Amino acid sequence: MPYPFDREYMQLALLAGLVVGATAPLIGVYLVQRRLSLLGDGIGHLAFAGVAAGVLADVWPVWTALVVAVVGALSIELLRGRKLASGDLALAIFFYGGIAGGVVLAGAGHALNASLFTYLFGSLLTVDSGDVALVIGIGLAVIATVALLGAALFASALDEEWSRVAGLPVGVLNAVFAVLTAVTIVAAMRVVGILLVSALMVVPVAGAQVIARSQRGVLGWSVAIGMLSVVVGLGVARQWGLAPGGTIVLVAVATFALVAAASRVPVVLR
Amino acid sequence: MTAREPVVSLHGVSFAYGAAEVLSDIDLEVRPGEFVALVGPNGSGKSTLLRLLLGLLRPQAGEIELFGGPPDALRSRHRLGYVPQRPGLANDLTASVADVVAAGLLSRGRWWARRPGRQHQAIDRALTAVSLADRRHERIRDLSGGQQQRAFIARALAADPELLVLDEPVAGVDAESQRQFRESLLHLVRERGGTVLLVSHELGAVADVLDRVVVLKRTVRFDGPPAELSGTGVHLGVHDSDLPFWLEQVE
Repeated sequence: MPYPFDREYMQLALLAGLVVGATAPLIGVYLVQRRLSLLGDGIGHLAFAGVAAGVLADVWPVWTALVVAVVGALSIELLRGRKLASGDLALAIFFYGGIAGGVVLAGAGHALNASLFTYLFGSLLTVDSGDVALVIGIGLAVIATVALLGAALFASALDEEWSRVAGLPVGVLNAVFAVLTAVTIVAAMRVVGILLVSALMVVPVAGAQVIARSQRGVLGWSVAIGMLSVVVGLGVARQWGLAPGGTIVLVAVATFALVAAASRVPVVLR
Repeated sequence: MTAREPVVSLHGVSFAYGAAEVLSDIDLEVRPGEFVALVGPNGSGKSTLLRLLLGLLRPQAGEIELFGGPPDALRSRHRLGYVPQRPGLANDLTASVADVVAAGLLSRGRWWARRPGRQHQAIDRALTAVSLADRRHERIRDLSGGQQQRAFIARALAADPELLVLDEPVAGVDAESQRQFRESLLHLVRERGGTVLLVSHELGAVADVLDRVVVLKRTVRFDGPPAELSGTGVHLGVHDSDLPFWLEQVE
């Protein structure tokens, strides 16, 4: 492959990044439509607490992160679904609980060091074929779920009460969706970092909402912007020696800014 | 259930939120082909009654049947079309009018295997019934409030329901949309033999085509043809504004 993807580590980074860049926004579309844009970040912080717990207990941190993230995602959904807390309040409780728990656990395990922070910010240039296989597997699961549940997820995002009357199992749909979000974040965090995966769930969707005119359009444009951000972001990061995860997200943000400015309709931010 | 058995029946239904009784000993039946309006002042229990018969709440006393069985046990959900009071998150979504209407087809069962967006005939039929066929590719959020409400009526019509339940569908809707709304409901009742239960505190555009008016204030205060209600001193004209005022006086 031509520069900047001429090295094997860059090709693996590109492959893993493209899969995350394509699948994270697929989940993000339904997060944004449910006004749960920060759910990915909230679950990510819980996953961070799980990583710290794994380090403290001397268990592979991905397993503990998975358990904490899935339980946390279901708990947020439970609080929201039973109206025990509003969507953003439920998120905030778990968000702060997760980051505080992570810091305390990591401190207790004397693990507040650089290796722990690779989970937060990713280490895209050190991914191996095993990481890529894991990301591809999760990516296929996301695509299959969206293909199967997408229409019902859209209907319940539009109106949960109407969906219940129409016979859709709204509670089950919400739970499946929360688990899928959690699993995606955990699978991708070691590769691209909690920051990148949660940002890639939402920022491309913001741009797509400005351009698209239909649900299919939003899905297509979100994936396109996500993948474009990965390619451009990786190339820019290689050229100027920047942090790849952050650069990819900045490219996605810049894409949104360009699209919004070009359309001169900031309706998406209402 | 035979053809003339009630589509909706409530017998001795009572409901309370905690200690506050909202509905008391409600008896009500709606038969196939009827066009019934359920009216009452704010806080009269209209929305609670609606949620009970949709199966979203359960009564503390009495029996409710929808198509001859408990509402939450209804398997063929497409027989019931529902138009909620608020148009959900329509203003925050980037979705086309056709996307919204297509969602209505999910009530036909096997929703996981459905590709509702590809069922163009059903979508076109529903959009034509509310005179929005030429707007199908537009974004739902770009439509006026009245047009959005018509799109939500089309969503309810897409699965070809036998009973259409509407919750305050014309609140704050422009005159043109009210006229289209009237035409859509008449089409459903007269040409497709459907049943309509309209919950509202103003009857406006449909006052002259109703079969029955049910006045609710914690319990049923009146149930009969609109002409009989007129005998109480209230005139249900198309442009009449007496009803909301009168409803507030109901004791």
